[in-house]
Amino acid sequence: MAEPRAGMTSDTFTRLRRAAPLAWAAPALRSRALIAAAAVAALLFPIAIRNDADIDSLANALAFAALALGLNIVVGFAGLLDLGYAAFFAIGAYSYGILSSWQLQPDWSSFWEPFQWLGLVARNHTTAGDFVHFQVSFWLMLPLSAAITASFGILFGAPTLRLKGDYLAIVTLGFGEIVPIVVRNWPSLTNGAMGLNGVAAPQLFGFNFGIAATPYYYVAVALVALLILISVRLKDSRVGRAWMAIREDEIAAAAMGVDRVRFKLLAFAMGAAFAGMTGTLYIAKLQTATPDMFMFPVSVMILVMVVFGGIGSVWGVVVGALILQVLQSWVLEDLSGWLHVLGRFVGVDWLQRVELASSIELIFGLILVFMMLFRREGLIPATRRVPALSLTEQSAQVGRGGFDRLAGVGAGAERDGEKLLEIEDLTVRFGGLVALRSVSLSVPAHRIVAVIGPNGSGKSTLFNVMTGLVPADGGMVRFAGMEILRLPPHRILECGIARTFQNIRLFPNLSVLENVMIGMHARLRTGTVGAVLRLPVTRREEAEARERALEILAVFGNRLLPRLDHPTASLSYANRRRTEIARALASGPKLLLLDEPAAGMNPAETLELVDQIKSLARIGLSIVLIEHKLDVVADLADNVIVLDHGEKIAEGTTDAVRRDEEVIRAYLGRSAVYA
Amino acid sequence: MLSRRSLVIHLSTTALVGAFAVRARSAVAADKSITIGINLPFTGADAHDAELIKDGAMMAIEDANEHGGIAGYKIEVMQLDDGTATAGQYDPVQAATNARKMVSNQAVVAAIGPQMSGSGKAMAPILSEGDLATVTPSSTNPDITNPKFAGQYRPKGKAIYFRTVTTDAFQGPNMANFLADNLKVKSVYVLDDSGAYGVGIADSFQGQAEKRGIKVLGRDQLNPKETDYTTTLTKIKSLNPDALYYGGVSQAGVKVVKQAYDIVPNMLKAGGDGMYAAEVLKGAGFPAAEDWYATIAAPNILANPDAKPWIEAFAKKYGMQPENYSITAYDAALVILDAVKSIAASGKPVTRDAVRDAIQTSKVKTLQGEVSFDENGDITNRIISVFQIHHDPNNPPDDMVHQYKYIGTAPASST
Amino acid sequence: MSDYEVLLQQVVNGLSLGAMYALLALGFTLVYGILELINFAHFNVFMVSSFVGMWALQLLGISGQERALTGFALVGVLGFAFIVTMLAAGILGVAIERISLRPLRGVRGTAAMITTIGVSYILFNVILLTVGAGSENYPNPLPARRWQWGEVTIDLKEVLIWAVALVLMIGLQLFVNRTRLGKAMRATAQDAEAARMMGVDVDRVIMTAFFLGSALAGAAALIFGLYYNYTSFIIGYTAGLRAFTAAVLGGIGSVPGAMVGGVVIGLIESVGGQLIAVRWTDVIIFSILVLVLVFVPTGLFGRATPTKS
Repeated sequence: MAEPRAGMTSDTFTRLRRAAPLAWAAPALRSRALIAAAAVAALLFPIAIRNDADIDSLANALAFAALALGLNIVVGFAGLLDLGYAAFFAIGAYSYGILSSWQLQPDWSSFWEPFQWLGLVARNHTTAGDFVHFQVSFWLMLPLSAAITASFGILFGAPTLRLKGDYLAIVTLGFGEIVPIVVRNWPSLTNGAMGLNGVAAPQLFGFNFGIAATPYYYVAVALVALLILISVRLKDSRVGRAWMAIREDEIAAAAMGVDRVRFKLLAFAMGAAFAGMTGTLYIAKLQTATPDMFMFPVSVMILVMVVFGGIGSVWGVVVGALILQVLQSWVLEDLSGWLHVLGRFVGVDWLQRVELASSIELIFGLILVFMMLFRREGLIPATRRVPALSLTEQSAQVGRGGFDRLAGVGAGAERDGEKLLEIEDLTVRFGGLVALRSVSLSVPAHRIVAVIGPNGSGKSTLFNVMTGLVPADGGMVRFAGMEILRLPPHRILECGIARTFQNIRLFPNLSVLENVMIGMHARLRTGTVGAVLRLPVTRREEAEARERALEILAVFGNRLLPRLDHPTASLSYANRRRTEIARALASGPKLLLLDEPAAGMNPAETLELVDQIKSLARIGLSIVLIEHKLDVVADLADNVIVLDHGEKIAEGTTDAVRRDEEVIRAYLGRSAVYA
Repeated sequence: MLSRRSLVIHLSTTALVGAFAVRARSAVAADKSITIGINLPFTGADAHDAELIKDGAMMAIEDANEHGGIAGYKIEVMQLDDGTATAGQYDPVQAATNARKMVSNQAVVAAIGPQMSGSGKAMAPILSEGDLATVTPSSTNPDITNPKFAGQYRPKGKAIYFRTVTTDAFQGPNMANFLADNLKVKSVYVLDDSGAYGVGIADSFQGQAEKRGIKVLGRDQLNPKETDYTTTLTKIKSLNPDALYYGGVSQAGVKVVKQAYDIVPNMLKAGGDGMYAAEVLKGAGFPAAEDWYATIAAPNILANPDAKPWIEAFAKKYGMQPENYSITAYDAALVILDAVKSIAASGKPVTRDAVRDAIQTSKVKTLQGEVSFDENGDITNRIISVFQIHHDPNNPPDDMVHQYKYIGTAPASST
Repeated sequence: MSDYEVLLQQVVNGLSLGAMYALLALGFTLVYGILELINFAHFNVFMVSSFVGMWALQLLGISGQERALTGFALVGVLGFAFIVTMLAAGILGVAIERISLRPLRGVRGTAAMITTIGVSYILFNVILLTVGAGSENYPNPLPARRWQWGEVTIDLKEVLIWAVALVLMIGLQLFVNRTRLGKAMRATAQDAEAARMMGVDVDRVIMTAFFLGSALAGAAALIFGLYYNYTSFIIGYTAGLRAFTAAVLGGIGSVPGAMVGGVVIGLIESVGGQLIAVRWTDVIIFSILVLVLVFVPTGLFGRATPTKS
């Protein structure tokens, strides 16, 4: 952006200019210093404190930080409450345990030779014959565990895809209980309740980690650093935005092109993979595993860490996990020690015997309740606070006259006037109620068609069927020659149909800019790998996407541009409508469905909106409009369709429709016809 | 500008720094003192038993300190809890951390504990690396001292896991022998409580029972968190074995006792040392607990005339009746104190190595008789004692001394 | 015992279990029906009430199983114990709602459910840290009477369970269907906004639901203690999971569904344990839970849909 756009104030322009190179959200100098300090402290800790037990405790704490990061992806980013997360921890642990101990000893056969050549197994000679001894290396096992656990993540996540929040939680809780029970009842594989023993310690260049805590500590630090990096990169990418869209409003996310199935499973898989790797490390350090280590209280503990630290906040959950672990291992113990001394001093026996560490679960319960009641966003909230707007930014300055050009939006290959959308005999029933009855209509390219009718006539249902949110019971919908009736909502968006909702479905906790960029989800290509690695092609794509988003937002003058980083929940009603329209435009549609766009706007704002809609049609967009304000309809519509009780009762120009008897009767009652 | 957020950050940083500062203090030991670590699950389901065990050990330690210490050394105690609230019982991860704590603290020359074998498995390799000997009064899983697994549990080779009880390698099988020889049992149904100890002892019992020709009509696993065992007990009733054997601890055991009394009142019922607990008497009460057999992996100490004054002193000092493992803990402490004494007598410095070596070769007179250890750390005396519960109305119902009647020793296996 | 008799005995066992699960599931489903809230704390309210019942009986001088009463003394003692326990449970339930749930009434998402997990933990640990982890020998004034039918036995205790459970369930059905407050509850369950606009005091309705639901848990708790002669800090855990599955199976939000679901789960536990093995009961129950939620979310009788609209 080399110069200010029409309607932008200089304040906003300067801010945007500064913001552009920070598109990747590089932290402010102070946070960078904090992170650097923390990294140095982490690296120097074992050298400063030579106590093996303390290093071990902190290594355990870091392991839980890693687990919290994994759960944060599932609960914090994607909004899927997983109450059985410890199951993945167990799977990762036992995967390594089984493949690197003496637990499994199948008979030797030539089948195992290639594995022996790869160093994964060894041939064990005994008097009873030759057996296989599994000795998969820890380092190989880390990614392998991640893969195994991710598969289980998908397996356990799949049944939950269509469930509501609390039911999803219960199903995940069920799986979380089933895994340790299966482990306990399968002694040939896992040695059951007796626990898996003799798990091999990692080796690096001939150095065996053995029992000393320090090497494990450094591996834990590296693991946490890696997982933080992955989390931060994912959060600020197309993948992260898709997750957060699902979390905020699944229906709107689907309508904006997010493939919910894929991204939910991806969240489960990614979260599970984090836990799998951590499980492998945890068990390598302990060299033993029992099913009791992975029960429901562990899942809850990780949830408490996430809730305490800040749901959705990467650094928040790390800090939360570390604080709670340190609380458990050190602070409460030391406090108890002081209380003992005090008790001896004062002569109170109870004080001398009290052990605060045993009340840690009580503390967890209290934290959950307190956090939910008083500070749901956690210690370090996920959303940053935004600075207040200047006075000039607050006063709206919008020019009249619309615009001539808009990036990504515009004429497609279709000829002017040819049938873009054809609906034939569409019928929709909700139980006994017939919402739409054999409705047929067509939308010519580059035209504006208005759909009007009294409340309950089926207008929104029409939109819902067209965008795949509601199933049809008969009929056909063809868009640009293609049948779209049975397609899922995100595929319909990809075809080129975008919509807004009657009661505005934005993503409330996400910023204006993030909302609009989610609109572009289907047009962008970055996947998980690209997001994590931040390849040049990814960076370019994000920069271009951001540019386009700003251009689209500029359509509304300076109403939205100064509020780029504001959560949409804080916007005025009219601004939220505009954001929703901008979001729909961002997907580069050929057909735009607007559901009562002028609702809640004053006359001046309505005029402004009419201009903008006219411009959209002028640059090649086809539009279907549901509206109650008949003057808007008169001004915009090339063709008007009237619905009543699910049936089309009239079609034609605004004037013709206005005089139609049926229409009058529908709106005003029978007597009005003869008025 | 002190926003709420930065206040939170500042507070938590201060708390963390404070924790570190406290951490940094080194172990303070008075001049001429040694420290004994006591690692038991003071949190969770076994907390009460852990207290009783600790009290037993403390009887010996405090007694020694009152008499001027051992050869002038004051005995300090480093008490550690390997139970966590999250696990609800002992936690192997916490046990491993505790082992490291003891190893890191140079003043610690020996340890008492752990109570549970699950902790022992996690601790043993670390103790071995640190050359720190521990004497356990109650861990009975044989794997930890089995030379077959030496590479895993004592990588440095020397025995460091000593026991003043014998192991389940004998407890389960000897009871099977007792059932076969003394009680003429021909068929049995085996239950366990799905815990590490319970499964182990039930397995070893079942193996020997089958060898002795007792028909094992079935084997099932109980969930200690559940309450209703009527389904299994009804099944057992229908199969009508001569006896029921339960391997496990009292959390499930109490419910088994109560419900078995309702469903199979006349069946012969037996358990391991998990059933030799005040918890059973208190939780199940009479008449439900009547006639249950229980074993302990030690001789019948409570019958020893020397034991009676000790028991009275214990009851007076702590206001509770001791349990069997209080005594083995007392014996464990005696072993360590005796080792220190002999080292001091020979004029050498009291180091961990020396203590370990001294324990290895010790022959100490304790409440259970003379205690000595084999090269693996197991107690040489392999006696399993059998008890049966008989209600003594003249004594309180949770008085283990009077409600458990000593029957005899369980026969050792001939192989 | 013949195979047939064993099975019959297991069915008898299962029915008793089922009655207890039904009572526990009822309380849970009442709250869900109105608030669409999964109340984790319900099952530890059950556990706490069981201790309250124990203390109430001990207050009357009943301890252990030594004293058995008959006739009016028995009825009086039991009546007292039931009233005290159910009242205490109800008050606890209302307190939980007022303090920790009402502030979250408008918040969408799983915040309220997470709060109930927290409350559940608090109750659990308060008991654990004060009373301890031991098993308590529950006072039991019931005489040990049993009836035999071949090898199949039915205890007086089992008859008592069913008597109390039926009385409570019928009472609840009558209350929900015949009284004004009950009608208000059903209206609120269908549409809280509309009910409010029709003049229903929604706050009071919710309070009543919590009170009734918790009181039923209290009754279940006392029955539990009398039946097993046992209580401890952990009883909420498994009984809770079973009762929850029962509620879901029967159709969450449906009162007859909870009753039927409870009986079905009880039978699965006993007959399943007989035919397969007790160690797999938990896996079977959880699998049922998952399968029902995924494939038949409305359960047997329910109307509430756990999927998106």
